[in-house]
Amino acid sequence: MTAARGNSRPATGDRSADAPGVPPAPGPLARHILSLADTKRLLGIRYSDWLLGSPSIETGIAASSMAQDEWGHARLLYSMLKRLGFDPVAVEQDRPAERYYSAPALDDPFPDWAAFVAATVVVDGALAVALESFSHGNFALARSRVPKMLAEEEYHRQFGAAWFARLAGAGGEGAAHLEAAARAMLPTTLAWLLPDDPAYEAVVAECDIWEAGRVRARFRERVGAVLAGVGVRLEEISPARAGWDPERRRGPGAPGEEAVERARGDRNRALFVE
Amino acid sequence: MPHASGGRDRWSEPLTELPGDGAAALCAALDEVLDPELPISVMELGLVYGVAFEHGTARVDLTFTATACPCMDFIKQDVCDRLAQEPWVESVEINEVWDPPWTTARISEAGRRKLKRLGVGV
Repeated sequence: MTAARGNSRPATGDRSADAPGVPPAPGPLARHILSLADTKRLLGIRYSDWLLGSPSIETGIAASSMAQDEWGHARLLYSMLKRLGFDPVAVEQDRPAERYYSAPALDDPFPDWAAFVAATVVVDGALAVALESFSHGNFALARSRVPKMLAEEEYHRQFGAAWFARLAGAGGEGAAHLEAAARAMLPTTLAWLLPDDPAYEAVVAECDIWEAGRVRARFRERVGAVLAGVGVRLEEISPARAGWDPERRRGPGAPGEEAVERARGDRNRALFVE
Repeated sequence: MPHASGGRDRWSEPLTELPGDGAAALCAALDEVLDPELPISVMELGLVYGVAFEHGTARVDLTFTATACPCMDFIKQDVCDRLAQEPWVESVEINEVWDPPWTTARISEAGRRKLKRLGVGV
């Protein structure tokens, strides 16, 4: 246990690539973990945007619970980096937006509830499959920690599938928004889930995680039938690989600065305790 | 004591001498540490996956009900403080574990009975 020492963490004022504890060029496994953790962190923020203003109080509570889960998972994932020589606290608190590895579908807030629901299926589903693959590899921390995350993710899957079916079944404007949101998220999310670069191949080889074909098949198995509810056929969607940044394992762009400020906890920085 | 929670008034007085079975004595002490949200102990809730006592050091393998459990720091602090109050415990080490994942199946029969009396079904 790291006992609370009561020492606040001052703002470093240095979020450059040379910030303390944040190696400028993480190796393939570290990039893989950052990709998962940052996406979890950003997804939690996007879910949290809907604690109020979702279709009902109950869905707001669900959004709250899922946001909390995502941040719990992110915390466990970031802490894995300590095994690789990183300072997890610096990783969480000292990076600028352009050094985030998160899935591009989360760069901006969800414009409406339909986008929230689409993300529970597309982005959360992709994350769950990536984690499932990671848990079947040989990285001991993933094998021991990820099953608990996946157990919690099962509730997200049920929630997302139920709301997706509800909106899709209702037809009209809601279903149209849902389809549009899913189609907008899928190309970049598929590229994030199925990186076509040597670093990912190195993780497959080194950590014995699933190769891309198996990941894609598992993703189709998990979300294909749900997406078909609005006429989206997964096999017809191509990953958006234009502008791929192998260093950040994602496509172009970066999460919005406001979201990253929340992710880092900038406003509470003077209150942090380690 | 930034994360102390309730139930400390029910803790027993420390043992005055080294027990014959240190691990068993540690388990008994942990059975007095209440979960901050449910009125049963961390032992009854099934959060303790292992206890060992060696050369004055108490080692506890501890899990939590959820990865984002907001009570983690409270529980860790309570576990540390309860064990550290024993004069024969020189240090406490908590090892956070997540394997196997906690489920309600890990709640003991005694814990279930207490929860049932309070109208909590598991």
